Amino acid sequence: MSATADYSSLDPCVHCGFCLPACPTYLATGDEADSPRGRIVLMRALERGELGPDDEALAQHLDACLGCLGCEPACPSGVGYGKGIQTAREQLFAARRLSPMGSVVLGVFRHEWLWRPLFTLSRVFRATGIPKLLSGRGRLGFAMGMLAATVTGSRARSSSRARLSSRAQGGNLPGNGSTPARTRSLAALGMTTASGMPDPPAPPSPSPTVALFRGCVMDTLFRHVHDATRRTLEANGYTVVEADGQACCGALHEHAGDRAAAEALARVNVAALADSAEYVVVNSAGCGALLKGYGRLLETEAAVALAGKVRDVSELLAERGPRPGGSLPLDVAYDAPCHLQHAQRVHAAPLTVLGAIPSLRLRVLTSSDKCCGSAGIYSLVRPAMARAVLDLKIESFAAADPMPGVVATGNPGCLMQIGGGVRAAGLPIRLAHPVELLDESYRVGGVYESP
Amino acid sequence: MMVDALVEALGRIVGPRWVRHRRAELKTYTMDGLPTRESYPGLVVMPGTAAEVREILRLLHLTDVPFVARGAGTGLSGGAVADGEAVLVALTRMNRILRVDPGRRRAVVEPGVVNARLSEAVAPLGLYYVPDPSSQAACTVGGNVAENAGGPHCLKYGVTTNHIAQLEVVLPDGSAVTLGSPHGEPWGPDLVGLFVGSEGMFGIATAITVRLEPMPPSVRTMLADFPTVRAASEAVSSVIATGIVPAAMEMMDRACVAAVEASIYAAGYPTDAAAVLLVELDGQPDAVDAEARIVEAILLERGAGAVRSASSPADRARLWQGRKKAFGAMGRIAPDLAVQDAVVPRSALPDIMDRIAEIRDHHRLSISNVFHAGDGNLHPNISFDRRDPEVAHRVHVACTEIMAACVAAGGSITGEHGVGSDKLDYMPWIFDAETLAAMRAVRRVFDPAERANPGKVVPIHTCREWRAARGHSLVGGVR
Repeated sequence: MSATADYSSLDPCVHCGFCLPACPTYLATGDEADSPRGRIVLMRALERGELGPDDEALAQHLDACLGCLGCEPACPSGVGYGKGIQTAREQLFAARRLSPMGSVVLGVFRHEWLWRPLFTLSRVFRATGIPKLLSGRGRLGFAMGMLAATVTGSRARSSSRARLSSRAQGGNLPGNGSTPARTRSLAALGMTTASGMPDPPAPPSPSPTVALFRGCVMDTLFRHVHDATRRTLEANGYTVVEADGQACCGALHEHAGDRAAAEALARVNVAALADSAEYVVVNSAGCGALLKGYGRLLETEAAVALAGKVRDVSELLAERGPRPGGSLPLDVAYDAPCHLQHAQRVHAAPLTVLGAIPSLRLRVLTSSDKCCGSAGIYSLVRPAMARAVLDLKIESFAAADPMPGVVATGNPGCLMQIGGGVRAAGLPIRLAHPVELLDESYRVGGVYESP
Repeated sequence: MMVDALVEALGRIVGPRWVRHRRAELKTYTMDGLPTRESYPGLVVMPGTAAEVREILRLLHLTDVPFVARGAGTGLSGGAVADGEAVLVALTRMNRILRVDPGRRRAVVEPGVVNARLSEAVAPLGLYYVPDPSSQAACTVGGNVAENAGGPHCLKYGVTTNHIAQLEVVLPDGSAVTLGSPHGEPWGPDLVGLFVGSEGMFGIATAITVRLEPMPPSVRTMLADFPTVRAASEAVSSVIATGIVPAAMEMMDRACVAAVEASIYAAGYPTDAAAVLLVELDGQPDAVDAEARIVEAILLERGAGAVRSASSPADRARLWQGRKKAFGAMGRIAPDLAVQDAVVPRSALPDIMDRIAEIRDHHRLSISNVFHAGDGNLHPNISFDRRDPEVAHRVHVACTEIMAACVAAGGSITGEHGVGSDKLDYMPWIFDAETLAAMRAVRRVFDPAERANPGKVVPIHTCREWRAARGHSLVGGVR
């Protein structure tokens, strides 16, 4: 039954329990079975055949893991929890069917001819203003709030193919970004780049080419973030190019244990992006984490090479400073997407991006490193736990003094989940991707005006 | 136990979703922080309020069902584990800080409040909760009360019992009583002192009034490296002999430092030293400066290679994080860990460290030492792989020999981890039959049927069996 399942990454666990307070589901329920340590016990039981993959309670509590990996940086012994839960999910996927909801959602994301019309219709619906009106507390109200939260908060004009002459930004030099005052405040927050991760090499050319990974939700509901990504990268000396023939990244399928579907989608993207540019830029943390892991997933030379070129948009911007923009006197709370901070170990870059905006008052709340409960399709298939996890975060916004006017986070699922949550709680907080704010700052500061 | 009927009845009290009875769920509650003691509970119930705790214990009293209270399950003596006959009462949902009174420096908390969260919550008031067991990021105040938890800073400030003013307790028959007084010293018998450290035998504390202390105006954290464990141990005694009481004095040996430095909590400890000492002084700035000069001179005189002071609060936090997460980092050495906890008189430290090294070499084991050197509280940790039964046997024998050596040196079988089930066999080594009988009599005052944490702490044998066990124990070890 478990002959091929390799759980050796869990071996260092000595059951100390130091991971418990780092786990959002444990914080929500207080139940050992919803903790990393409890799930490791379950995975070991699965490995030994003591419990089967068809055990309902075992599946329930392993499924309840958000996959946020918040437990990994808390573990003194370096237990590879992420590897273990991935193995378990593949084992469970092989042994049983997904829930009807899960199957439908994953099926949709496999085929562009399904997701594109669906999300395009959602955009049309969003434009009617009805989702905003209906947003609120109940199941429907929350879903409407999630959709309403995808609308751009900035007043920047949306034109997905708008291009700026990179010549106009020829005067930009790397490192001319943050003001000294902002640099100090970031240092005071104790934010540094993750140790052990190689720094991205310096751009080999003065205007490196960057292919935009379009994705599915980002390319429909969050097209304005793509626009902001393009404009801000070009304003910082990058040349953004198009790469046709892309698909959904496959992260949702991988998280559900459907490795075959994830591999199929990954192969499409490797073919589309392999020779496209010097970098592949991703503005969705969840997609970026899997694109960086394509090498491990496919184990082909092309996949490894592509994975090495993948950068989160904040990494590329931070590498160039980024250049400062105009003043935005906003109270902004940064919320770290799990797939950026834990899976990609990118901590400082988004703060550096926000730090390039003069007058912006940046805060990191105590809840900012905790999962919001979105976790891919988790919030759709396990709404109750997702809401319980989210509530802890929303409470911290409500208790903050002053309350942030904007919550900035670089992942579509988090933007929607937190957006739905603040609307349900009736908090006057707007959600934005960090590059949207930088884009707004550049517009206000006249960075985009021709010289 | 009529499981189905009990599941239903408990579900009526707490709501069905807070009763766990499926095997996979119970599996996750089979251990606490000591994975060598494993046992399935009959079922798990998770009350959310003191009223629910009263109803649960009343029900269990009427149905004559034993119970075990549990916090975060970070204990290291198998104390928070129940067998199939008993209900495990998990108190993690009761995690509210009920009141903070900054003027009187008191806080009232539910038992499931995490130790470190309490200090974080009162930090803006310039206050903190002193007892800081190494598991403080995860362990609960209720568990700390049950175990009378210590921690590095109990050298100067005392253990949990010195920081608890009052307890609201639900007794095993479901009745509620108040022990102690919120204002200060109680009159009459010190019932708070009796309850704290009773390891779940006397009932469940549902509201705990703790003392808070003002943060010291000045703190100095020093790190010293030594060429031998003996030199470091002697340095500890020399510091104490001056009359200076450091806030904490902690030792880690080379094996422990290596595990910590390989972890995410790497603190910059010197990996080439045989032992490192972490010494913390706190108080008024002038006094701390003067004491630091004396301590530094002693450490150097006793053979320290170098003494460095933490340069910033962040640096200090890093030095402490490494120490506090050391036990969790042992998984880097081997998959299993036997954590020991014993106390010896401080003057016996150098000899006992040598003796532990002899036992280690004789049984060809890997032992790393991380401990509260200032008060002679040892934690020799044996890393091993229990899938090899022969090794597991050697570990058991070595543990017994270490414990016997500590007792022979005038020490005790536990400093802060409690007796639980892990140390039960050692109890007759240090207490005679009459003393154990007296302990049992006290237990029966609170719990005549002995349903609260049954089978733990006080061995239940006949007096004759005790005497027999005691007669051969120190020579041949237990069993």
